[in-house]
Amino acid sequence: MRLYHFTEMPYPFVPPEAEHAHRGLKYFMPNRYYDPVLGHQLYQRYLDEYELADELGFDLMVNEHHQSASTLQVSATLSAASVVHRTRRGRVLVLGTPLPHRESPIRVAEEIAYLDAVSGGRIDCGFVRGVQGETFPSNQNPVHNMDMFIEAHDLITQAWTRDDVFSWEGTHYHYRYVSVWPRPYQRPHPPIWISGTSTRLVEWTARHGYTLCNLLGTYDDTATSFRLYRRTATAAGHPEPGPDRFAYMALCHVAPTEQQARDIGRKLMYYLKPGRLRLGAASPPGYFPPASAVAALQGRLGAVRRMSYEDLIDAGILLVGTPDQVTAQIRRLYEHTGAGHLILMNHAGDMTSNEVRDHLTLFAREVMPAVTPLGTDWRDQDTTWRVDRDHTPVRAVLSSALS
Amino acid sequence: MNSLLFLHDADVLPGPVGALRPLAHDLHVDVPRHPGFGTDLDEAATAWDSVGDLAQHYLTTTDDTPRHLAGAGFGGWIALEMAVRAPHRFTTLTLVSPYGVKLSGPTEPDFADILLLDPTEIVELGWADPTTCHDLRMPGYPAGLPDSDYERAFADRAALARYAWKPFLHDPRLRRWLHLITIPTLVIAGSHNRLVPPRHSAALADLLPAARYVELPHTGHYPYLERPDEFHRLVRSFLKGETR
Repeated sequence: MRLYHFTEMPYPFVPPEAEHAHRGLKYFMPNRYYDPVLGHQLYQRYLDEYELADELGFDLMVNEHHQSASTLQVSATLSAASVVHRTRRGRVLVLGTPLPHRESPIRVAEEIAYLDAVSGGRIDCGFVRGVQGETFPSNQNPVHNMDMFIEAHDLITQAWTRDDVFSWEGTHYHYRYVSVWPRPYQRPHPPIWISGTSTRLVEWTARHGYTLCNLLGTYDDTATSFRLYRRTATAAGHPEPGPDRFAYMALCHVAPTEQQARDIGRKLMYYLKPGRLRLGAASPPGYFPPASAVAALQGRLGAVRRMSYEDLIDAGILLVGTPDQVTAQIRRLYEHTGAGHLILMNHAGDMTSNEVRDHLTLFAREVMPAVTPLGTDWRDQDTTWRVDRDHTPVRAVLSSALS
Repeated sequence: MNSLLFLHDADVLPGPVGALRPLAHDLHVDVPRHPGFGTDLDEAATAWDSVGDLAQHYLTTTDDTPRHLAGAGFGGWIALEMAVRAPHRFTTLTLVSPYGVKLSGPTEPDFADILLLDPTEIVELGWADPTTCHDLRMPGYPAGLPDSDYERAFADRAALARYAWKPFLHDPRLRRWLHLITIPTLVIAGSHNRLVPPRHSAALADLLPAARYVELPHTGHYPYLERPDEFHRLVRSFLKGETR
C-alpha cells in the first residue's frame, strides 16, 4: 500500500460571522478576508510539511479549488511544481486537474508533461470533473461537464502519445495544430487517476484501466464502486485489477494515546462541516442526472457530512487513534475494499504545524511499516473482493461526501 | 386579430396560464413548450446550445400566415432572436421583461442569477406580493410534490442552462441587430421586478425602432400571472390597435 500526505492548504482565519453570512467558505466568499502576509506564511508552512512528509517516506498529493478559503491551492499543477521542487523521493499525485473548468486541455497536457520531465517521472496525473460549486467560479456550463471531461481527456492523451502534429476539431475544443513539447518522461504517459462514484464515470475509468479514487466515502460505498470497476474491467477483457488500481482518501491523526488523538483529531472535522450552499450551487443545472439532483434536493447526498465525530472514527473515514488502532482500521479498509493507495488528509482547519509534524513522524515510525506490505501479495490471497469470490450484485452509489 | 404565438419563460407551468386564457377568447393563442422543457423534441434538442437554435426552430416550424409574436423573460429573448432574423414575419412583437440583451458594464449584472438562487428567493424577487405566487414550478418548489415533478423541474433548469449559461442570459451578438425590429413593439415591465429590473426593459425599448414601454404597477416579473386583468386589457388593446 502506498501512503500519500495531503493538505488542502486551508486559510483558517475567516471570522465565523463572515463564514455564516456567505453560506460557508467557498466560491462566494469576498477576498477582503484574506491577509497576504498570513497567506504567505501558510504557504511556506504547508510546503515545509510536504518536505517533511517526503523525508519520512510518504508520497505526496496536491489538489486545487477555486475562490475558496478552505483551499489556497489554486492550481494542482502549480502546487505540484512547488512540491516537486521541495522534495526528492516521493511520487507527486496531482488529484486533480478539473478538466471541464480549464479553458485549455492543451495547457494541461503541457503542464503535466513539464512536471513529469522536471521530476524525472515522479508524477501521477489525476483528472476530475471539478466539484459542483466550482461551476460558478469557472463559469463553464455544468450541462456539458461530463462531455467536456471526456473530450479534454481524449485530446490530452492523444497530445501525449502522438508523435506528429495533428488537429483537433471536436465539440468543445478546437485546435488546428497540436504537438505538445515536452513529451512526458514516463511512457506512454504518467499513470492516470480518476475520482468519482457515478456509474458512467466508474465504468469509463475501468475500461481505460485507470486508478479509481474514492474520497471520504463509507467503506461499503467504496467497496461497491470498486466492485463495479472490477466487473466492468474484467467484462472488457482486462486482467483482474489489483490494489494499485484503487485509492481511498481518509482524514488522519495518530497520537500516543487514544485520548490525545481524539482531542487533536477533532480539528479534522473542519473539513467535514455540513455544506450550507444553495441547492443551485450544490447541484448546478445538468451536473447530475435529474434523479440524482432530486436526491441532492432531499438531502440524500453527502451523508458523510452529517455523521458525528465518533461515528466517523468508527467508520474509518476519520483514521483517528493510536498507531495500533489506525493500523487495524487501515487493514480493515484493505480487506473490505482492496484499496492499494491511501491518501491521508493529515491536516485541516487550524491544526498546528507541530500537531501535523508529530502525527506524521509517529505514523511513519509505527503505522507505515505495518501497512505498506498490504496488497503486495494480493494474488495469493483469498479476500472478499477478488472477482471470482465476490458475487454481490452491482448497484449505484450516491455521492456520500458531497462537497 | 388572428393568432398569437406566446413563448414561455423559465420556471412557468406549461400551457395558457394567467392572462393567456382571456386572450384566447379573441384570438388563437399558441403557447408551445420549448424543446428541452418536456417535449417530443427534447432528445433531438440536446445538441442545441443557443437561443438562436430555438429561434431557428420556431421560425421553421410556423407557417407564413400573419401572426403576433410575444415572449416573456426567456421566451422574450427567443422572440427577439426571431424578430431580428425575420423582421417581417410577424404583425407585432410583445415583450414581457425579456432577457437576452446586456446593456450595462462588465461588472454590473443585468439580471438576477436565476440558475443559482433558491426558489424562495426567485419568488421574493419576481413578485410584488410573493404570498400570491402561483403557476411556477422549480426544483423543490412548491413543496410536497412527487419526485417526478422535481425531476422535470431539474431537467428544465438543465435545458435553460444549456441555452443560456454563458454568456449568462444574453447573446452579445443580438444588440447589434435590434434596429431591424421595425414592427410595432410593446415592452411590458412590472414595477416590482427584481429579476429583470424595469429600467433594463425601458432601456431595451429605447433600442427598438417602434417600441412603446409600459410599466405595470404592483407587479413583478410575471404580470400575466400577478395582474392578469390589467395585462389582458393592455395587450388586447395593443394587438387590436395595431391590426386595424
